[in-house]
Amino acid sequence: METWTPNPRAKPFIPRQQRSLYLTWKYKLTNKRTIRRFCQAGAVLFLLITVIVNIKLILDTRRVADEDAAAQAYEDTIPNMETPRRPAKGRKILDIEVYSSRSKVYVAVDGTTVLEDDMPEQGRGIHVIVLNQATGHVMAKRIFDTYSPHEDDAMILLLNMVTRGRVLIFTIKDEGTFHLKEAAKNLLKSLGSQVSLNLSWRDMWTLVVKKGGQVYGERHSKSPALSTWGDPVLLKTEVQLTASEEAECHWAATELNKRRKLFCSKVEGYGSICSCKDPAPIEFNPDPLPNNNILNVPVAVIAGNRPNYLYRMLRSLLSAHGVNPQMITVFIDGYYEEPMDVVELFGLKGVQHTPISIKNARVSQHYKASLTATFNLHPEANYAIVLEEDLDISIDFFSFLSQTLHLLDEDDSLYCISAWNDQGYEHTAEDPALLYRVESMPGLGWVLKKSLYKDELEPKWPTPEKLWDWDMWMRMPEQRKGRECIIPDVSRSYHFGIIGLNMNGYFHEVYFKKHRFNTVPNVQLRNVDSLKQDAYEVEIQNLLKEAEVLDHTKNPCEDSFLPDSEGKTYIMYIQMETETDTSTWTELAKCLHVWDLDVRGYHRGLWRLFRKRNHVLVVAVPISPYSVTKPASVTPIHLEPPPKEEGAPVEQM
Amino acid sequence: MPRVNRTAVLTLLIVSSSVFLLFQLYYYRKYVSQSGPFILSRTGHLTANDLQWQAVKKFLGLARRFGLPLFLADTAALRLLSHDALRERDRLVREPHCSFLCTGRPITSFALHANLWKYEPGFLLAAEQKGFELLELRGEDPRLASLDNLSGEEIPLHFLFRLYGHVIQVVFLYERSGNYLWHGELRFKSNADRSFAPFKLLDYGRHAGSYDRPELVLTVLDGLDVRIPRNVTRFLAEQRRARFLECRYRDARNFLQLYPEDSSPEAVDFRRKVKSLLHSAARILAGINVPFWLSSGTCLGWFRQCSVISYSRDVDIGIFVQDFRSDIIAAFRDAGLSLKHKFGKVEDSLELSFVSDDVKLDVFFFYEDGDVVWNGGTQARSGRKFKYVFPRFSLCWAELLELKVRVPCETLDYVTANYGAAWNVPVRSWDWKSSPSNVQENGVWPPAEWEELIQVH
Repeated sequence: METWTPNPRAKPFIPRQQRSLYLTWKYKLTNKRTIRRFCQAGAVLFLLITVIVNIKLILDTRRVADEDAAAQAYEDTIPNMETPRRPAKGRKILDIEVYSSRSKVYVAVDGTTVLEDDMPEQGRGIHVIVLNQATGHVMAKRIFDTYSPHEDDAMILLLNMVTRGRVLIFTIKDEGTFHLKEAAKNLLKSLGSQVSLNLSWRDMWTLVVKKGGQVYGERHSKSPALSTWGDPVLLKTEVQLTASEEAECHWAATELNKRRKLFCSKVEGYGSICSCKDPAPIEFNPDPLPNNNILNVPVAVIAGNRPNYLYRMLRSLLSAHGVNPQMITVFIDGYYEEPMDVVELFGLKGVQHTPISIKNARVSQHYKASLTATFNLHPEANYAIVLEEDLDISIDFFSFLSQTLHLLDEDDSLYCISAWNDQGYEHTAEDPALLYRVESMPGLGWVLKKSLYKDELEPKWPTPEKLWDWDMWMRMPEQRKGRECIIPDVSRSYHFGIIGLNMNGYFHEVYFKKHRFNTVPNVQLRNVDSLKQDAYEVEIQNLLKEAEVLDHTKNPCEDSFLPDSEGKTYIMYIQMETETDTSTWTELAKCLHVWDLDVRGYHRGLWRLFRKRNHVLVVAVPISPYSVTKPASVTPIHLEPPPKEEGAPVEQM
Repeated sequence: MPRVNRTAVLTLLIVSSSVFLLFQLYYYRKYVSQSGPFILSRTGHLTANDLQWQAVKKFLGLARRFGLPLFLADTAALRLLSHDALRERDRLVREPHCSFLCTGRPITSFALHANLWKYEPGFLLAAEQKGFELLELRGEDPRLASLDNLSGEEIPLHFLFRLYGHVIQVVFLYERSGNYLWHGELRFKSNADRSFAPFKLLDYGRHAGSYDRPELVLTVLDGLDVRIPRNVTRFLAEQRRARFLECRYRDARNFLQLYPEDSSPEAVDFRRKVKSLLHSAARILAGINVPFWLSSGTCLGWFRQCSVISYSRDVDIGIFVQDFRSDIIAAFRDAGLSLKHKFGKVEDSLELSFVSDDVKLDVFFFYEDGDVVWNGGTQARSGRKFKYVFPRFSLCWAELLELKVRVPCETLDYVTANYGAAWNVPVRSWDWKSSPSNVQENGVWPPAEWEELIQVH
């Protein structure tokens, strides 16, 4: 080819081309190389077009961007909202007055009384106030009755929790040293107290100090004799406020930390929530439930002014699997700030309720308002979950309810589903997958059906002038109408409240402390549908058939009453002539260390509980229809109450 | 070039061009189709419509990012979408690339189901960063106001976002007991910026409003994904008559302090029956599209005590006679309410009574006559006619016994006309022929027509 030179005289090539157009194509198409060439050309062409279109697009977009910029030039630019740092203005000074005496204490900050206690027979011990060093706000106000044991430990706990730099104010009313032990005195000394080691019986004492900083003032007056009190002391001092930056931690600027910051600038005494280095979480992100029937059921948390309880309760609630924080509303009885702060810390909704009436009726009215409001706020809901602020919530609380909720719809003989087994103590409850039907209304974490509330309970709820307990009222036959509640063997809530309207430390120790509480996640409940009215009777009959009769000649209170077996079912018969003949059950409950204040947790005269890992059926003869299973040879157990003495009047829960 | 490599080159070319093509498709979807008017307005001049489109686009982008299920509630835009307008459009092509959302009005309204809104400061922050100015209007939660002494946080009622001088209104719709949605009035706090938006032009917020839950569809309007009510025409009709009156809970509480509610079992039972009767009446009449309102004692009960007067013995409703349909009686009968009596005729003093579960439902038909409205009464024994005259009124929505019902908007005038200035004092002995302050004698039915005009079953 290279050597080829065109011949100018050669004939044009046309005829051949014309002659063989068809053949050429045929030839070309059958030739693989040509096909390849053809495709190549096509591809290149395709590529070119693509490139051109794309370039055009890019140009177009460029123009749009330009126009965008032009558009932005039209409107008023948003001024940069960065606020300039305020110049460090003249730091303020707080005047503080602290008074300590036998019958009265008060603390005034800048002329405002933040603490005044002159009630007789009340407020004995060391009063502690925590002030924010930047704003002067009261962040915590506590009394530690250090005349009594263990209170000094609680004080140490608080003082250790308080952030460094806060202003602490101490003052003693009446007596505050009898059980103030060395550890506490040393801690006070390390805070800067000069006299703490010498504090003794009926001394009066005041102290204003910055944690980890200077002492603003301390006064002390010794008691001259055992029978007399020290002279009242009044301490007047000044505290220099610091710049707010110094009082704050530098957490990452997230939404959560914004809430945390607000909370921590207001209150003290919530442990590591406000720790600068490694703060406790306020969002928990527990696992969702696979089949959550309870996701859109509203949760009403009934609260009073026990913010530390509320904090503990909400933490456990928000950690439970399947929780939906959107559906939670906390109803606070009264206009208290601190519970509201706790609610806002967790980003939940809070509603405050102006108190109506007094004592039990006040609680009852608060319940009514809260329940009505819950169904108002969630008109589409058919149920509501009712919780109280002094409950721990089990990790599978929502899973438990999600598995049982449908029973309320399918079985008209049900009154509620409750997370609480009145008789479920550590030694009497075993099986987290087991459910019971009971004729009492346990409360303490329960589900209420809307139709029950709207059609039956709300219209005749006790009015404010009736000083009734709402739960006692709900348990009355006029309301319950023979309906039953579903409960688990192992409770899904735990009652930790010690202070309360119907509560005190002793009562809690005896009846609530040893209550069994489920900690196993995702428990699959057994035979949920067998809890329906008819199915449950079949279940009971099977149990009765299978049960071995215990030796009724032995003392039922003795451990040896039960054989040393495991996993078996036993039956025992106790005497109960009428509904009101409760003495045998009460005595039995006493020696079993279960709930004995009234008769609870039975189903048609039958109690079910565990002893020594065996399931025990207790049948009341003759009022229970299951009495017919009693062999003729067995005499029902009869226990007499011990001779009456002046028993401690225990209030009902 | 060695022959072996040609195949490789070819493959490479095909792959790369396909990638280009895909990119191009993606690019087209993402940018070109969504930039709508911009790419096509070659004048380089931005019209108000372009700004509106741009503001809405940015806003919807934000809403999508934060998963806010907004729907378009703008009456002007929805009107363009309703069927009549769509037919007209074929002839009259407006701006070709922004034909629905560019209404030419300075406001576009969206609505949001409030229970799908978790307070999301991130959203507001992002909106601010995008250049939106924000006006939040909050107010009391009416669902708590009905209860003694409960106070929650204020709930968001309306959010106004402003960008390029265009305002986007977000109306929060709250679920209320009675199975309807509610939005609040737009009212300023004393420190609010009153010049933020042309408030007179807002579609929502002059009054509180109530709506049935609209079914929504997702559609593409002018290149933007927007949710709209499926039945636009019905939504628009509802919007025009959506005004909602909250019961005056505070006054009702004061009234009930003076005259405590009867909580005897009979009274409780009566209230339950009234509730069920009212619910079925509302269902029946809605089924045949007849609007009605609470009248007489039932209206007084709502207005005075937000409840039912327990000694009133019956339920009274009113219907404009032009809404009368001959199948009303059949509709009630089919639902199990038997006709107790029928007085008068469609032309004059028509009145129907039904009974269900021992409670009587009186249906009064109202006649418009100049600047008054009246309804009639008939004494069965004597054939005497009576006339009850009211000033003209319009209808509003209200809630009673967990039901969304209409009441006269001018309720005070209506109640005062019927019960006099002392309507606030309970009267237990009531004679319908003489006690009302607006009753007038209206002659006697001619005895020949009694059989037809006075039917007692």
